[in-house]
Amino acid sequence: MSLGAKLKIGPAMIVAATAAVGVAGMLLAGAAQADKLIRYDANSKNFWLHPPGDWYMGGETEELKGTDFAKTLPPPTGFTRAEVEARLKNIKLPPGFKIEIYASGVRSAREMALGDKGTLFAGSFTGGIVSAVVDEGGKKVVKTILKGLRMPTGLAFRDGALYVADIDKIYKYANAEDNLDHMPAPTVVYDDMPPYTTHGWKYLAFDKNGWLYVAFGPPCNICLPPTSTAQVRHINPANGLAELVAIGIRNSVGGDVDPRTDQYWFSENGRDWLGSDIPSDKLNHIARMGEDFGFPYCHGGDIPDPDLAMGHKCSEFTPPVFKLGAHMAPLGMKFYTGDQFPADYKDSIIIAEHGSWNRHQYQGGRLVRITVDPDGKNAKQEVFASGWIGPNNKYLGRPSDVLVAKDGSLLVADDYNSAIYRISYSK
Amino acid sequence: MTPVRPLLFAFGLVALLLCCGGASAADVAAGKATAEGCAGCHGADGISQMPLVPSLAGEPDYFIQWQLVFFRGGSRKNEVMGPIAEALSDEEIRNLGAYYASLPPPKPQPAPTSDALAQAGAELAAKHRCQVCHGNDYSGSGPTARLAGQREDVLLKALRDFKSGARVGSGVSSMADVVYGLSDDDMRALAHYMATRP
Ligand code: HEC
Ligand code: HEC
Repeated sequence: MSLGAKLKIGPAMIVAATAAVGVAGMLLAGAAQADKLIRYDANSKNFWLHPPGDWYMGGETEELKGTDFAKTLPPPTGFTRAEVEARLKNIKLPPGFKIEIYASGVRSAREMALGDKGTLFAGSFTGGIVSAVVDEGGKKVVKTILKGLRMPTGLAFRDGALYVADIDKIYKYANAEDNLDHMPAPTVVYDDMPPYTTHGWKYLAFDKNGWLYVAFGPPCNICLPPTSTAQVRHINPANGLAELVAIGIRNSVGGDVDPRTDQYWFSENGRDWLGSDIPSDKLNHIARMGEDFGFPYCHGGDIPDPDLAMGHKCSEFTPPVFKLGAHMAPLGMKFYTGDQFPADYKDSIIIAEHGSWNRHQYQGGRLVRITVDPDGKNAKQEVFASGWIGPNNKYLGRPSDVLVAKDGSLLVADDYNSAIYRISYSK
Repeated sequence: MTPVRPLLFAFGLVALLLCCGGASAADVAAGKATAEGCAGCHGADGISQMPLVPSLAGEPDYFIQWQLVFFRGGSRKNEVMGPIAEALSDEEIRNLGAYYASLPPPKPQPAPTSDALAQAGAELAAKHRCQVCHGNDYSGSGPTARLAGQREDVLLKALRDFKSGARVGSGVSSMADVVYGLSDDDMRALAHYMATRP
């Protein structure tokens, strides 16, 4: 039976004969046609392997027409330190907290990882590089330590080695901090990974035993995904073994292991083009092996997919721990494990919300804090840092990851401003 | 959700910062000075006389900048341009973008009056809708290249590089997927057609 027959593909999913053949990747501006709404049938291997350049536009609606991922990209060389400094004046924090630049010129900074000797590593979304920030006589110096990768968004550090996830491989660079100027050739520690670049960029989180949690995003906005995607795996980089721990997950590029239980929690980006205020992005918690979080049948915990629900009800799936709101784009997240912030911050979750593209009035562009019991009950949210969406609906920065530094301050990566900030607290 | 209400001072500041695409104002004269080091290959006025070296005159500002950022970061691999771009600062890249964008584009390559190859190229361009991204007159915009009047050998090499995977563009998914359905004959026709466009 063809996929189409199984899925009862509605008219909305049929590829318009004139659908853009082209692909310019996410850098292209305005591939959208002025007159027609863009439609793609994303349910085929050909689409997954050769997505049109504006694959994320398929499913366009009158309500959201005019929104375009490409419009939310920063200029090629980012911003100068002085510009970033000025933008930080717009950021609001609770009393006692302050934000400053930790390093600027960290190109397209995504997930961060901290070395034992104090090196801060950062992956990137565009440009294919990994950066390192080192302290040289009190001055932060930024080095490009790896080049020519594809989308090295996900990093982790353990026992002297830097781990980098790049679409379909996880690399290990031994003794990374001693070799920043001449990084050693990597070993591939895991490559049982699908080749799709769409939502193929990743985030890495080590548990206490040295296994990695890694989410595999579906190669589409909405589709019945390849069985190798829309899931979270638990991977042992020491021997390349892996287990499948959860399914039904859309694009997740943030997660952390609960210091209280060693269980995995992760952020998840809801599908696009359903509406300005639906579906909600999610904070999820894997309490037991094999949970299904609902993609592509159910979104935000409460909205059956208009084309793909195929009779499934949302009640069949694990609900989110917390509904973060639509088009917030939650990315990197960490449990706060430091001692510097007020006592009630301990073990709460701080999430970097990158902010919308598929919404006329952007929202997100901030850090939120969720306090929640280890079993997922009693979740409460407060806004921790805001102001990266300025007047006129313009981005003044886009938080992409957070990391608790050794002194208990919070480092924040911003891939729009190509900067790392430090948020600290004193009474 | 209500937008963040800006403080008055912040508003002024922000308006200033956002006026020019967000990046600091580029210095065309400084770009011109840096470009003296490029002229040996790319031509004195950004119009290349050298085989397989692209003309840069009249390319969109951001196209120039992105390609230099890609060369610098190694995601566009080229033995000549890699080390050259590595030596460029962000500021120099911004100035070079502004400078080359300010120059008049190259004149199209002369074409015979009856040009079957260009005719085939025109049909392929329509079929594959190159204009959607490259503009109605193929002059490019933003991160998308000018094709009109570019050297034919450069265009053909670019298409073949995308096809072979030697060039991956933005790194997400890019021209590689446009050329996926093109044969080598198609690419030759397209390169010829674009090179002869005014
Ligand atoms: C979906 C948008 C899109 C479509 C459709 C598209 N292009 Fe492109 N093209 C781009 C972008 C973006 C770049 C530059 C960025 C890069 O390197 O990938 C580019 C670069 C190129 C280049 C390299 C130019 C240079 O100087 O480096 C050539 C040649 C080219 N395109 C030809 C074509 C042709 C011919 C077609 C139609 C068959 C086409 N393109 C269709 C987006 C597109
Ligand atoms: C020694 C010769 C040489 C010099 C000097 C040189 N380039 Fe290049 N450049 C090339 C070649 C060859 C290519 C084509 C690379 C390819 O085929 O991918 C190129 C490509 C480029 C491109 C991509 C254009 C396109 O259409 O794809 C840009 C931008 C560029 N160079 C800018 C510069 C700048 C700026 C300088 C000076 C700072 C410079 N180049 C100096 C040889 C040179």
